[in-house]
This record gives sequence, C-alpha cells and structure tokens, in this order.
Amino acid sequence: MLPSSIAVRRAVGLAAMAAAGVLGATACGGQIAASTPASNGVNFVSGNGSSSYFKPGSRPDAPAVSGTTLSGARLSLSSYRGKVVVVNFWGSWCAPCRSEAPTLAVLAGQYRSKGVQFVGVDIRDSPASAEAFVQNFGISYPSLNDPADEIALAFRGTVPPAAIPSTLVIDRSGHIAGRVIGQASEASLGTILADVTAGT
Amino acid sequence: MTDVRTSEAGHGTSEAGHGTAGEPATPPARPRARSFGVLGWARWIWRQLTSMRIALVLLFLLALGSVPGSLLPQQGIDPAAVQQYYTAHPSLAPFLNALGLFNVFAAPWFAAIYLLLFTSLAGCVLPRALRLIRSARALPPRAPRHLSRLPNSTRYETSMTAGEAATVAAAFLRRRRFRLNQGDGWLSAEKGYRREVGNLLFHIALIGVLVSISVGGLFGYKADRLIVEGSSFADTVTDLDAFHPGHLVSASDLAPFTLTLNKFSASYIPSGPDRDQPDNFVANVSYTAQPGGAARTYNLEVNHPLNVDATKVYLIGHGYAPVFRVTDGRGKVVYNQATPFLPADQSTYLSEGVVKAPDAHPQELGFAGVFLPTAVDVNGQLESAFPAPYEPAVSMIPYSGNLGLNSGAAQSVYQLNTSGMHRIATPVQVLTPGQSMKLPGGAGTLTFTGYKQWISLQVTYDPGQAPALISGVVALAGLVLSFLIRRRRIFVRGYDAGSGRAVVEVAGLARSDVGGGFDAEFAELAAGLRAAHGGTDPAAPSEPGAGTRPAGDGADRAGPAAVAAPMSDNERSVSSEGTE
Amino acid sequence: MSDNLGLAQLSDHLLIVAVVIYSLAMLAYAGDFAYGRRAKATASAKTARPVPELAGVGISGTVSTQEPPQAVTEPGQPPAAGPPVAADPAAGGRERLGPLIRGAIALTCLGLALHLAGVITRGLAVHRVPWGDMYEFVTALTCVTVLFFVALMMRYRAWHLGVFLTGAVVVALGLAQTVIYTPAGPLVPALRSYWLAIHVAAMTLSVGIFFVAAVLGVVYLFAERYARRVAAGRSLPGHGIMRRLPGAEELDRLTYRTVVFGFPIWTFGIIAGAIWADQAWGRYWGWDPVETWAFITWVVYACFLHARATAGWRGKRAAYIQLTGFACLLFNVLVVQTFVTGLHSYAGLG
Repeated sequence: MLPSSIAVRRAVGLAAMAAAGVLGATACGGQIAASTPASNGVNFVSGNGSSSYFKPGSRPDAPAVSGTTLSGARLSLSSYRGKVVVVNFWGSWCAPCRSEAPTLAVLAGQYRSKGVQFVGVDIRDSPASAEAFVQNFGISYPSLNDPADEIALAFRGTVPPAAIPSTLVIDRSGHIAGRVIGQASEASLGTILADVTAGT
Repeated sequence: MTDVRTSEAGHGTSEAGHGTAGEPATPPARPRARSFGVLGWARWIWRQLTSMRIALVLLFLLALGSVPGSLLPQQGIDPAAVQQYYTAHPSLAPFLNALGLFNVFAAPWFAAIYLLLFTSLAGCVLPRALRLIRSARALPPRAPRHLSRLPNSTRYETSMTAGEAATVAAAFLRRRRFRLNQGDGWLSAEKGYRREVGNLLFHIALIGVLVSISVGGLFGYKADRLIVEGSSFADTVTDLDAFHPGHLVSASDLAPFTLTLNKFSASYIPSGPDRDQPDNFVANVSYTAQPGGAARTYNLEVNHPLNVDATKVYLIGHGYAPVFRVTDGRGKVVYNQATPFLPADQSTYLSEGVVKAPDAHPQELGFAGVFLPTAVDVNGQLESAFPAPYEPAVSMIPYSGNLGLNSGAAQSVYQLNTSGMHRIATPVQVLTPGQSMKLPGGAGTLTFTGYKQWISLQVTYDPGQAPALISGVVALAGLVLSFLIRRRRIFVRGYDAGSGRAVVEVAGLARSDVGGGFDAEFAELAAGLRAAHGGTDPAAPSEPGAGTRPAGDGADRAGPAAVAAPMSDNERSVSSEGTE
Repeated sequence: MSDNLGLAQLSDHLLIVAVVIYSLAMLAYAGDFAYGRRAKATASAKTARPVPELAGVGISGTVSTQEPPQAVTEPGQPPAAGPPVAADPAAGGRERLGPLIRGAIALTCLGLALHLAGVITRGLAVHRVPWGDMYEFVTALTCVTVLFFVALMMRYRAWHLGVFLTGAVVVALGLAQTVIYTPAGPLVPALRSYWLAIHVAAMTLSVGIFFVAAVLGVVYLFAERYARRVAAGRSLPGHGIMRRLPGAEELDRLTYRTVVFGFPIWTFGIIAGAIWADQAWGRYWGWDPVETWAFITWVVYACFLHARATAGWRGKRAAYIQLTGFACLLFNVLVVQTFVTGLHSYAGLG
C-alpha cells in the first residue's frame, strides 16, 4: 500500500521486521517512518509545563464554547460568566494528563469556594475510557466530550491550547488570563488561580 | 564567474572582471612595495569568492557533501534507522555524528557550502545584471579593419557606391532585428543579447529557489495524524500526532479545518505474480474548511492529496484497527474502542498492537498481540494469508499491573511497557469477531467485537512551494534561452573601387556557437546581402580565394585575438559558455 | 486490464534480436577499422592546408571544401587542431563510405528499429508508457541513446564512433535482459499518475543523451592522449583506429553540445519529479537518496558546463568532470535505486 516496492518488501524481509519487534517505526525502513503516525508512536504533542499569565487589560476574549458533557448534558461556558473558569484539555490515554489529574482535583476543590469552576475538555477518547478515568480519579467537575477536538479550534487566534494537556484560565469577565502548556502543577496553575481570583 | 578572456595570444589572465581598480599593475621586476591592508584582503577574498574557479570548487564540494547524506541514515528522514546504525556500529557512529553526518542537510558545514556558493553566485550575477541593464542600449563596436581575417568572411563587387551599399546593408540587417552602429565606410550589427538575459535569469532564479526553500522552512509546518474510520480530527496542535513547525510558526497559524474519515477501501491483487500487491486504495473523507463551514467530501488517494486553504493533506499509510471491549474485575466496561495496530508485514498485513486499560480495577490491564486479516493455521503457527480482511482474527496476551501511565511519562501507543506488569497465565486464544477471552480469577474479559481501518495522514503547509516552482521554471527557461541564442556580430565595409563600383566586404563573428549553426546563418545572411547589393565576383582577386586566409600568413594566427579585442573593450562580460 | 503476455513475450524477443543485431553492427564497425579501405576525399590539394579551427564556409565563387575526418593531420601542426567535420553537410566533400561501414550503419538502424519495436510492444503489453520499472527504463533509455547517436551522425558523419556506442548499448541491454529483467506487470498505486509519463520520460531522454556524451567523452580522452603523443613524436599520425575518428577538438565539441542538449531536459526531469513527489509523498524535496544523487549529478554536470568556460579547465579536465557526472548517474540508477532504501525504490526487482 505504501509507496514501496516488492524490492523493499522482499529485500528487507520478515527477518528484519521480526528483529525490529513491535516498534512500528522501524519496520521497512523509510517507508514506515514516513507512514507511521509519529515516529515514536506517542501520538500527541506534549508541552513542557510552561505557563503564561496576562495582566488585566491585556487579556484576549475567550471564545464562546459549548458542547455536550460526558454525561450527555448540554453545557456552555457562558453560563459560568462571573466565575473564573479553568478549561483543561485532557484524554484518558495521555500520560501527563493522568499525572496532573490529582493536582487538578485538589485545586478544583480548593478554589471552588472562591468562585472558580473547572471544566474539562476530553479529546480523542471513547465514552467508556473517559468514564473510567473520571471515576478513577474522582473528577467532580464536568467535562465536555470533544472527540474531534473542535473546541481547541475555537481558541485559535486567541490563546490556543498548544499541547496535550493544556489548561486555560478565563477570568470572571470572559477573558483569557493564563495558560499552562503541558502538565499543570500546584505551582504553575495555583499561582495563576491565586492571581486571577485576587483580581491582579 | 570569470570573464572569458580572449587571450589566445597567451597573456596571463587575472580572475574576475569587475573592472575595479585593485592593486596597481607593476612590472614583474619591481618587488611589491606594500602589502594588503584589511580592505585589500577583503577585496581579494571577495574577488576570489566570486571567481569561476571557486564557484567550481564550491559546486564540487556541494555534490561531495551530499554523498554521505544519501548513503548514511539521516535523522530527519528515518530516525529509527539512525538508531539501528548506532547499535550496529557503536564506535564509528558517535564519530560520524560529531561530523554531522547523520543530519547532513541541516548541518552547519553543508549550509556553509551552499551559502558561500550563493554568495559567490550573487556577487557575480548582480554586477553582471547591472552591467547588462546599463549596456542595454550600447552599440556594437566599430568594424575591424581587416574583415578578411575573421572566421567567416566574403567579399564581392557591386555597382552601388560605398555609401549606398552601406545604406542598403543597414536596412537589410535592421529588418533582421540586428542592432546597428554605423561609421565612415563601415557598419557593425549585433544580435543575440537575450543570451545574457537568459544566463542571468537562470542564475537569479537559482537564488529564488533557495529563498523559497528558506521561506517554506521558516513559515511552513508538517504534521502527522492517524485517524480511524468514523472519527474526525481538527487541524490544531492538540489534535495532531506529531507537529514539526518551522521556526516562525505558532499554533494559531494552522488552517482551522476539520476532517472526518467516512470510509476507507483497499483492494489487493488476489493472484498471479503480483499477488498481495495493493491494487488501489481510496479514503472517502468529509471536511469543513472552517468551524461551521460547509461540509465537502473528497476521495483521498495516493497522488491525489486534499488541498484545504493552501494546506495539503496526503494519504500516507493505512492499516487495521480491531475494536476491543475490556471489562475489568468489577464488571465495568473500561475500554471500548477501535485500536490502531501497525502492519508488521507489508504483504500480508499481519498487524501488531496493544490495548491499555489504565482505569481498570482492581488492577490495571494491558493486552499485546496481533491482528490477522486472513488468519490461517500453518503447522500450528498462526499466519495471515492475504492482506484483505477475509478471515479476521486476533490473538492477545493479557497483562496486569502498573502500565506506567500515571507517572506522566509519555509512552508509545503501540507498545506495552511490561516492566511493571506481569503476564496473566492463560492459554493463548485466537478470537474471531464476537468472541471473548475471559481472564482467570475474574480479572476481566476482553472481547473482540470487530475491526475498522485507519489511515495515516500528513498535513503539510509550505508557503515556499509555489515560489520554488516558479523559480525552477524560470531557471529552466533562462537555461534554454542561454543555450539557444547565439551572440553574433556582422561587419560590413565598403571601399570605392573606382568607376562607380564599390567593393563590399562582409564578415561575421559568433561569440559562442553552441548550436553550430552560425556558419549556415552567416552564409544565408551574406547571400542575402550580396543579392541586395547586386554583388558580383571581384574582377581581379588580389587575395587567393575568399573565405580562406591568405596563404602562408601565419601572422594571422593572432587574428582572432586582435579582432576580438574591440569586443572586450566595450563589454567585459561574456557569456559563461565561452567560445567554442 | 490484465497484461497481454503474448505482446510482452514479443517485446522480449524483439529486444534480444536487437542486441544481436547491435553486436553484429559493432563487429562490422570494427571490421571497417581493420579491413576497410581509407575512403578518398573529393577535395583537391587543399587537404594539406592548415584549415583554421573555426573556419566556416565562405560564400563566394569558390567553396572551400572541408576535409573529411579521415584526413591526416600534418606533422608539425598544433595537435589539437584536427580538421573539423563539415558543419554544413551540404557543403560537399562528403567522404565515401566503404561497404563495411555502410553495412554497420544499416545494421545499427535495423537494430534501432527492432529496439524501438520492442519498447513499444512492451508498452502495449502493459497498457501504459513503457518506463515503469528499471528494466523498462534501461531499454527505453538505450533506445534514446541509439536514436540520438544516429541523428547526431547524420549531421556530423563520424559513423566510426558507432563501434563504441553499439558496444556500450550491447552491454547495457545485456544487463537489462539478464540481471535487471522484470516481467511485465502493473504499477504500484503510487506510480499511477500522469507524472510517470512526464517525469520518467524526461529522465529517459536525458539519461539516454548523457549516455551518448559519456561514450564520446571516453573516445575524446583517447583521442586527446593520442594527439599529445603525436605532438611529442611518440606516435605516428594517422595510426590505426585514430585516423578514422574525428580529432580531439571535434570530439570535445560534440561532447559539449550533447551535454548542452541533455542538461535542460535533466533539469526539467528533476523539476517534474519534485512536483510529482509533492503530490505523492507530501513534500517536493526530501533528500531521499535518489533525489540526492539526481541533485549531485546535476551539480557535476553544471560543474562541467562551468569548467568549459574557465581557461585551464577545458579539454581533459572537463572531460573527466563529465564522466564523473555520468558515473554519478549510473550509480544513481543502478545502485541507489536498487540497494538503498528510500521512498524511490521502484526498481521492481524481485
């Protein structure tokens, strides 16, 4: 199927492929490397955990986001106007997302009284795996089901989520105040939340 | 590029004819009184760099430098092969890596070669272009005195006076689009200036190609995505498997399209010498160029990429994604989706993959195994007989323990890290669609519910692509132009021969005669001129025969040099093809 | 559409017979060297006159005849100034060809006709252009080579060069029939594009032409060495084979013109290949081994064209550069496409 020839198939041979093992990236040399989604099989673009914060007055508008949650209900971010909204893009298959999940759960509980609402955006997931993840980590906040990642498209042009996981913080008036690209930590996300809720 | 000196007389030539002053010419006997200053060195280096000789050397180095880039595995093309090379040659590999030989085309030394080459090119071409523009209206030089010394010449008598003959000749040549210069008793005509235009166009277009490639590299990006039948993806960084942006690309620059794979169909040759070879594959996709835009469909195939807003989507590969449902120890369904498996054998599409259920309780579950499109039992060994899914089956090995996902370290989705897991002891089972494998001890169940197909896509945006193509085509046009057009001169002299007659001498010179047709062209022109003048043979030839050199006139060997000298006075630049 | 095996077999047979005919032609050329009478020139006493290199045909009452290539270079003349072949074949002075050489030419043309028929029937058998794998590529390009040579010789009439060319073509076709041979079959989907006709056609044409230039270049090196030996007095002028062949200068010029003819076609082939690569592989240039070697070949031939304009690099050094370019080309076609794994492995070798 791939732009290869009988020459490559037979010349490389099953022996080479058996030796390469399950590492899909190595079978058939150049062809598979070109055809294998991601040469290392990780299949997502991860971030380094860096965060950025925007002072009041220089914050771009957050786009209108709405969709269906994992439990089937309709949800729109505009219904949270007046609260600080933390939008976290995650997937149950994504290791850094799993690693940051306990941190997010803690921060969600910590800041709920200060008017902060966490909303997850679950991408590239099947309902069964997503449900199992939410139960496993005890996620109490709702997550929008977005298998085709269209919500991330909505943020294009403002402060796009540039990796998985990404976390965006939207202030009470609907402007994007901060972003963490990659795994969020108490330090990175906590600082942003502290500043936003304090109004600075 | 060095000007070709018309130095058949054998004088030593100096490189690069920019016409700049340089050092004052000193007779060889006197020793040099002063050495180069900084400016002198700079000028000398520049002159060397833009010389033809250095251009030749740099061209050779460019070719030579590309050789290891084609024979050694390259990081940018096949990183896995580089890894294999390291394991195969553990002592040699680091040394080669230090020389940059595993990424030749991005290596600094390779960049140095082509940057120097293009500097040399620009440093020669731009002044020549300026000179061409300035000399665009320059007239041909005056006709040499002894036209019979030129390689092509003829003479005849005419009943016109010399002045009339000159006028007639001028009209004749002007009709043939020669540029004319007239004087007392002589006429010079030149044609073929477009040759230099073609030459310069070619070289400037090469610079254009380099600039286009740089623009593409800076502002373009390449991304990969594997997508299973029935699912969609959006062109954002969060939804791509791999993203390779240029240095000046940010996440907002991606075209905001969404694409859904409706159906993928592949057919394979069932019999004959080309059995198992793919016959055809088509991916039927729907896409919207913007969120909320109109949905369109397209049949994506190899050689038929999808073009959305200058971003191209290519079909690169395909495979099978068996659908599994995993129930954990509590009886909950913790996994239920199509899982892409990678083909391990290109001819039979026996594919390998893993299932990971990290949210299973009480223990995390993982499965690793194979999918066979057409499963057959060969002496107790399970094999796939054909790449089409006639008899799909899977065989998976169960593991439980710690998948390692919660630690945050990214893993390949095609590999199971069994270091924190132990294999669940259960006999190997082959499952057909609908069948389940029950794990012992109530640990869970794996059900093979069916299969889908996946395609792998490459999304590419390259703003330098169109400019590169245009530059390439312009280069080709300039090349052909410079090869086809001859730069040639025709000279006419008339002498009054008394009694109302005049002797007309016609001569011609081609600066470069690639096609070899100048002799024929001169013959035709001379015949035409002769007819226009009503020429007749000279009555008493004072020189033996026309068209040949005077017998025994060895001194005429210097002729071409002397004759050609006037040419070099007027313009220093000569086409790089040189004389034949 | 399934392949027509009968036509495919016919194609194979035609090509095998063509190889035999070419071999016979080569023998006939060689025979003319050994046994052919030296053809008399129709020119008069002017044969001994030192004719200047760039002499054109003067237009006047008398026509200065051009000496046919077989004439002896006078001792004492500058060795490089071999008498030029008549630029205008109609200028008279055509040499009379002996029967052996005429037979050789006839055999060459017959072989070419069979060769062409073999290539065409192969194309008809597989219902597509006949250059889809390495075997077809080699048979098609050697056809271009012979065709170009015949056309060139109709102009320059140095038919005795045919011995070298038919020899080279016999070797190439022999390789094609034995080592490289692939039975007729369909193309992999990646090759099913109209670009196959364009890109590979350009490559076939240009490689065929470069093949001619390479053969001429090798002969030039021998002629140049011989001319130097004559000048040094170590060899007799007009000795053996050399008296039948054009002089070194003429060969140099022929080689140059042939390369000039093929170079733009090669450039076009690379551009067409880049356009096709972009459609099929997602990028127009990826430093794939075959792409890289095509680039290297292009650069070396560009070196050759520049070298000819640089005083001191013309002649032998330029010829070496040209032959290096052809060696890179051969390496690309035979070694890189076959043995180096890359996207471009369409050899079809099993």
